[in-house]
Amino acid sequence: MTEKEILTWSGRSSKFLKVLGVVLAIVVVSELIGMVKFAVGPGTVVLLPMLYAVIIGMLITPDVLGKKISALKKLIGNDEIEIAGVGVMIALLPLGVRYGTLVGPNIVKVLEAGPALILQELGNLFTPLLALPIALMLGLRREAVGATVSICREPTLGVIGERYGMSSPEGNGVLGTYIVGTVFGTIFFGFLGSLAILTGLHPYALAMACGVGSGSMMTAGAAALAETVPAAMKDTVLAYAATSNMLTGITGIYSVIFLAVPFTNWYYRRLAPRFEAKDLKIAEQEAE
Amino acid sequence: MDMTKFLDQFKLMLFVGMFTLIGQLVSSGASPIEALPGMLLIMLIAMAALLLKTLVPLQFPAFAWATLIAFILTIPMMPTSTFLLEQINKVGFLATTTPILAFAGISVGNKIGILKKISWKLVIVSLIVFTSTFFGSALVAQLLLTLQGTI
Repeated sequence: MTEKEILTWSGRSSKFLKVLGVVLAIVVVSELIGMVKFAVGPGTVVLLPMLYAVIIGMLITPDVLGKKISALKKLIGNDEIEIAGVGVMIALLPLGVRYGTLVGPNIVKVLEAGPALILQELGNLFTPLLALPIALMLGLRREAVGATVSICREPTLGVIGERYGMSSPEGNGVLGTYIVGTVFGTIFFGFLGSLAILTGLHPYALAMACGVGSGSMMTAGAAALAETVPAAMKDTVLAYAATSNMLTGITGIYSVIFLAVPFTNWYYRRLAPRFEAKDLKIAEQEAE
Repeated sequence: MDMTKFLDQFKLMLFVGMFTLIGQLVSSGASPIEALPGMLLIMLIAMAALLLKTLVPLQFPAFAWATLIAFILTIPMMPTSTFLLEQINKVGFLATTTPILAFAGISVGNKIGILKKISWKLVIVSLIVFTSTFFGSALVAQLLLTLQGTI
């Protein structure tokens, strides 16, 4: 179905009302639980209502609890999931406006931090540096190139899909990281954001780092980070994260095409022979 | 431009706005009536963003338009700045995030099955990817902010 068809109410209003009713219930329950902060070792984990909302939302779908509880399956089926997908796009817009109103008044600070905001994208090259050897150790081969080339949001999916094809090993790798990011990205960035301050890095640098992935990863990371920094830094943290995310949207695809893909392939060619030699040995032993 | 689609989008937006105000009432007791003008202004800018996305032939998502319009209108030298900030700040930042993720949680529902087909190795690799991208970017930012003398 096209986006326009999914948006059409006529003949489908009961499906819309189901989704909207469920979303309202999730919002109310999540806000009732409210923000929870607790100490873990030297740090503070911040649990925000948005985190409960995403978890409850996933739990009630057909793949999880819907499988066991048939009433839930009647409530949320595939049509409802599609409507929710369009709902995300619409619901993101007020947040986008809210980010604009955080950046506007802080324009001077954002301009001052300009070079750092633009060039932090280069930090992306650390991704294959660390993740590729681990992926190879785990036994992945060409999949590892796709999986570790970057944080694998939509632009990377496009670049890798076009170059290698989506059904290639590289395509499987990029899709793997993409899907894990879609399902667990918010939750994981929420934890990264709340614990990152322990590294001793400056809250402003961490704020920019929150912008590396999707809009919801950034929101979860930045909102959690903002709760762990001095109150005076809160707005600047959110403004830097939002700006960094916006710039990543523009520069990200070029850094993948011109830096990350060539670098990851070069690095793979240097590392892979050692692992392939090991593969060969194991294969020989098995043959004997 | 497609008027039916635009109206359908607006209909969903009305519910999103309502849910945000209800969420805010539940979490902090903030009066929905007091935050209503701010929410309406947010929705107005959001609809303008959807409109611009269809009218301007650039690959620029509506979310980015929404941020850009709100950003320009609230720069200190703009005459709209004081009024907009006063109203829009009554809508809590966190309150706008909860409905998004409620929708998002449901929308990935049919991907959880696919997730089971992905090898556990790719799941571990993904988490390492997220962590190293995050700290890679933070390290570069830290270095540049220090060089610039910002921090």
